[in-house]
Amino acid sequence: MAVPISQMWTVASYILKKRLSGQKKYPLVLMLEPLFRCNLACAGCGKVQYPPHILKKQLSPEECFHAVEECGVPMVSLPGGEPLLHPQIVEIVNGLVERKKYIYLCTNALELKKRLHEFTPSKYLTFSVHLDGQREHHDMSVCREGGYDIAVEGIKEAVKRGFRVTTNATFFDGTDPNSVRSFFDEVMSMGVEGIVLSPGYSYEKAPDQQHFLGRAKTRRLFRAILSNRKKSWKFNMSPLFLEFLMGKRNYECTAWGSPAYNIFGWQKPCYLLQDGYTDTFQELLDTTNWDEYGTASGNPKCANCMVSCGYEPTAVNAGFGSLSGFFAMAKAAIFSSYKDQGALDLLNNHTTFTAERSHLVKIEGVSLTPQVAQLEETRA
Amino acid sequence: MSQPVHAATPVNVDELEVVDGRAYENLEGWIPELANEADLQNALEKAFDYRGDISLTFKNGETVEAYIFNRQSGKSLADSYVQYFASNALEKRKASYAEIARIEFTGKDRAAGKHWEAWLKKYAEKKAAGETNIALHPEALD
Repeated sequence: MAVPISQMWTVASYILKKRLSGQKKYPLVLMLEPLFRCNLACAGCGKVQYPPHILKKQLSPEECFHAVEECGVPMVSLPGGEPLLHPQIVEIVNGLVERKKYIYLCTNALELKKRLHEFTPSKYLTFSVHLDGQREHHDMSVCREGGYDIAVEGIKEAVKRGFRVTTNATFFDGTDPNSVRSFFDEVMSMGVEGIVLSPGYSYEKAPDQQHFLGRAKTRRLFRAILSNRKKSWKFNMSPLFLEFLMGKRNYECTAWGSPAYNIFGWQKPCYLLQDGYTDTFQELLDTTNWDEYGTASGNPKCANCMVSCGYEPTAVNAGFGSLSGFFAMAKAAIFSSYKDQGALDLLNNHTTFTAERSHLVKIEGVSLTPQVAQLEETRA
Repeated sequence: MSQPVHAATPVNVDELEVVDGRAYENLEGWIPELANEADLQNALEKAFDYRGDISLTFKNGETVEAYIFNRQSGKSLADSYVQYFASNALEKRKASYAEIARIEFTGKDRAAGKHWEAWLKKYAEKKAAGETNIALHPEALD
């Protein structure tokens, strides 16, 4: 596991304090979206489709600090939009570091290399670079040729300057597990601290509405990807969440575990669904009918979700919430090779799966190279 | 009045292979008939879900072009409200359902079009024509 001990200790003691105080619902990571505008126009994104006057708005540093203090989380994720487009992002980051919050600044890294000199390396600051696979996969997923090379330049420069860097990938239906495993080799060779990954979520507003992974397929994909693991791969995630993705554990969503705050307020119920907003975090906790969300609720909007923002808090709570959970987490971190012949078979038979899925996208009159034809299904 | 209640899904979610997305509803240009309270509630629910500006005309004659980002149903129209950002103002605003006389879906639906298939088609065509650095770019904000 690639998470530093100091960060693990902070999270563990935070959870323990919450449990001892009898608090049932508490957040772990704040998804703080300081703005929605972005310098990419990815076909799979459900976050950036707003009128121009909304895309021009942004949270002030004071609003960001207030939100963080209001919910009291130990970790803050700064997604967007593209946070490096926020003119006061350095002030926001520095303010959060001063508050000793562990920050994950999620960036597509198009601007990273030229902005690095504005930031100071800190154990509290991690650049979480959106990288959705190997070069061609990533470029197709962000709908921009050359995006991968720019991002990798940013990663390498950030690593060189002593910053904590992780990569963050989202995988959708059609993802080639062999390519993902090669991708893991590539990013680890760049010197990143660890890899973050998640299955894609069926954003209601995403332009592509055809390639959302169902749970059975998600588990098969991640079993193929994460079994027979190389020692060199480090994951900046809970090992129990990875076991959940592989189908070895069954968790329910902790929707309040990663609350989202943006220019509209506190998003109900979570980062991924938009069922309204509240003005305060307490109001979010008190007025959201949490029983209406998660797979057990029967809510079709949650049916296929296995996304990290809802399930990783469950895994983290499980790991730090009891002795048996802690031992399970320690075991998963130490014995992490997960030897599995069935998973090897899945990797070896991947072309068969691709053929089975070829009905998903058909483009008349367009001849795609085999590689691109395969990419047409990834849409990550 | 209450928020929509989700019906239990009959499928076993753990057996799902691929999940369909949502069907697209073309609302751009729609002017809903507001004959009764249910019409108004339905139209405002769709307005909340719409990724473009809406023109709201209030009973006092004022009209605003706004992005509706929240709605809250209460026991009556008077204690139900929408929250919005007017296109020419910085602060959030709130209006009771009871104040609203007319709704027009005048703004461009920002979630419409730009399909993955369209991107792939465009990509393949440009690639075949020998173009390099093929990309989709965000729309200009001004």
